[in-house]
Amino acid sequence: MNTGTDHIIKSYDSELTRLTGEIVRMGELAVTQLEAAIDVLERRDERAARRVVGNDDAIDQLEQEIGHDVVRLLALRAPMASDLRNVYAALRIASDIERIGDYAANVAKRSIPLSMVAPVAPVGGLHQLATLAAAEVRQVLVAYRDRDAERAYQVWKDDVVLDEAYTGYFRQLLTYMMEDPRNITPCTHLLFMAKNIERIGDHATNIAENVWFQVTGEPLDKQRSKRDLTSSPETTKLGE
Amino acid sequence: MTDSALATNPAPVAAAAAVAPKLIVRDLNFYYGGFQALKSISMDIPEKQVTAIIGPSGCGKSTLLRIFNRIYAIYPKQEAKGSIELDGENVLDPGYSLNRLRSKVGMVFQKPVPFPMTIFENVAYGIRHHEKLSKADMEGRVEQAMRSAALWDEVKDKLKQNALGLSGGQQQRLCIARAIALRPEVLLLDEPTSALDPIATSRIEQLVEELKSQFTIVIVTHNMQQAARVSDLTAFMYLGELIEFDQTEKIFTKPGKKQTEDYITGRFG
Amino acid sequence: MSALYLRRRITNAVAMSLSMLATLVGLAFLAWILWETLRQGIGALDLKLFTKVTAYGEDGGLLNSMVGSLIINFIGIGLATPIGVLAGTWLAEYANRTRLGESIRFLNDILLSAPSIVMGLFVYTIIVLPSTTLTHGSTTFSGFAGGVALALIALPVIVRTTDEMLRLVPSTLREAALSLGVPQWKLTLQILIRAARSGIITGVLLALARISGETAPLLFTAFGNNYMAFNPMDKMSSLPQIIYQYANDPGDAMHALAWAGAFVVTMFVLLLSLASRLILSRNKVSHD
Repeated sequence: MNTGTDHIIKSYDSELTRLTGEIVRMGELAVTQLEAAIDVLERRDERAARRVVGNDDAIDQLEQEIGHDVVRLLALRAPMASDLRNVYAALRIASDIERIGDYAANVAKRSIPLSMVAPVAPVGGLHQLATLAAAEVRQVLVAYRDRDAERAYQVWKDDVVLDEAYTGYFRQLLTYMMEDPRNITPCTHLLFMAKNIERIGDHATNIAENVWFQVTGEPLDKQRSKRDLTSSPETTKLGE
Repeated sequence: MTDSALATNPAPVAAAAAVAPKLIVRDLNFYYGGFQALKSISMDIPEKQVTAIIGPSGCGKSTLLRIFNRIYAIYPKQEAKGSIELDGENVLDPGYSLNRLRSKVGMVFQKPVPFPMTIFENVAYGIRHHEKLSKADMEGRVEQAMRSAALWDEVKDKLKQNALGLSGGQQQRLCIARAIALRPEVLLLDEPTSALDPIATSRIEQLVEELKSQFTIVIVTHNMQQAARVSDLTAFMYLGELIEFDQTEKIFTKPGKKQTEDYITGRFG
Repeated sequence: MSALYLRRRITNAVAMSLSMLATLVGLAFLAWILWETLRQGIGALDLKLFTKVTAYGEDGGLLNSMVGSLIINFIGIGLATPIGVLAGTWLAEYANRTRLGESIRFLNDILLSAPSIVMGLFVYTIIVLPSTTLTHGSTTFSGFAGGVALALIALPVIVRTTDEMLRLVPSTLREAALSLGVPQWKLTLQILIRAARSGIITGVLLALARISGETAPLLFTAFGNNYMAFNPMDKMSSLPQIIYQYANDPGDAMHALAWAGAFVVTMFVLLLSLASRLILSRNKVSHD
């Protein structure tokens, strides 16, 4: 809960603001990584792909900094109530963003063997998945920055769209593989990449849950939207 | 977790959670001459739990504590209206004898105040006023109280020495021993560690945790971390009003009122 | 900035010098008094001082005056102490912050600074004169009347110190005792008086020191006696009175005796002061 008034100790405020800034910056970095990974896949640019993989270190670095800041805040400021939830959520969100970065790097990594074989048709479908995932992450970062629980809840609910797109793409790839066994190797790569992007969406929902907790102090009520989800196995991994 | 009624209906319902209330405060108002220091306080203080009262200076938290054993009555022009039921009887009723009330409700103060007598006599003094015991019984009783107050091992060899020679932390534990020697049912602690160093403070906090199996404890503290560490329930007071009263865990992670939140997180302007 | 600083330093130096000068003037006179008393008193010290009575005049001593002083002071302090301690206790514990208490405290302060000759005259009027009518005209000056006059001087001192000392006891000590269910009278007698004990004893000793140097109230009460008197109903000699009497005498030998008496009184007062300091410092640990 953002109470509007500032802390009596001013430096406490600036430390908390800094923490929020670090998370947002880290999240933007991860989204950029995802977009870059799709870009190098489409351009079949092996060297650029390696650069993307290498850039993941910057995200890991930021995660470490945030971890350090959180420990420092806990030790020196002994945050309470909303501040405590704030700091706790930052730590958890940072680890989700770090995973998102890893998945983006994975996508870039798999684009390297793909760039060495003949192009296959369904690459475009992956682009659509990545766009959905990137939008989801961006939305949840805005929700985090603005302490907007409703927006976070929206992201959390809308993840089902990404899940459905993934299921559709999965079926599409299966068709391709059945059609021609020579497609199996590239399509398996694409399958893994698609899975990675779908997992990015799951991490975005994790972040949404943390934003919700940070703002309201309560866990996101999962009962609330079960009806919104299909009961297919692909769409019920929220607890992860 | 507590039920949802707690969140919306703060004061009296909170304590109804698990245990029977030991002290039932209803519509308590307190006046220092023309100044109203407490405004319509109602709360249930549960038995054999630690209830902490926090709030900024002048919020009335110590005033509230000092009504529970009517110690305020020694000063002129102070008046309490309303009721505080202890086991179903209103202790504010003038007919409720002070002697009886104070044998049931013990108090420990901010500064350790040993009496100017020996260590042994400090603890025996209060007992002697209420009960006639043989020498052996009295010694047993004093030892027991000192053991409960985690003081026995440190003073058993110097019981005949002047209590003023003890360290501040030991003096405070002596005061606790003195209070619990009367076997009260309720123990009031008025900022018991504010004059002590961190180690002595930890000892007292550990002691509070041990004592709550036998006594209903109400502690007033300036130190929020202390309230968080030792209490089961926390009441937040501001300008003579009870703003919020709930499980300590809830107060410190997800307080229901903005004023509580602001105070807890250090935003009070 | 430095001009301001310089001016402050000069002001400081001037103020410091003036206050030191004032202290020195005061101390110089005190030292002078002590020195004269010592010089003249020690010179006149003699065994006969402690063995002979004043009836022998120049060849006599001061034995009857010393004994008289002790008896009169003992009566005075003996009367003043219980009344003073009880009154002081009442003021501090029962009448504190009440209008009556404040008025009595104020009156006591006036009594504290009342001229001692007034006390002598008062006692002369209420004890000496009435008893004279009882004895059909023969005047009835007595050591007892002197003791009463001194008690009236000691009383406000003891009331004041007891009151102050009890009010210095932290209120938390009262609350702590009351919170054990102990009643007020037990608290007062068993805890508060005990906590303030050293201060009260000091007050009594200081009152004793004060009255042992009083002359004026004894002139109309104990009057004086050249012979040894043990009965408090008799006229009685005392050191201050004999010093006054001998100092007015033209003879040098008498002056020497007066100095010796002054020396004895001064030493007595000094010892009392030292004793009270000792008691205070030994109990200083309590309630800082």
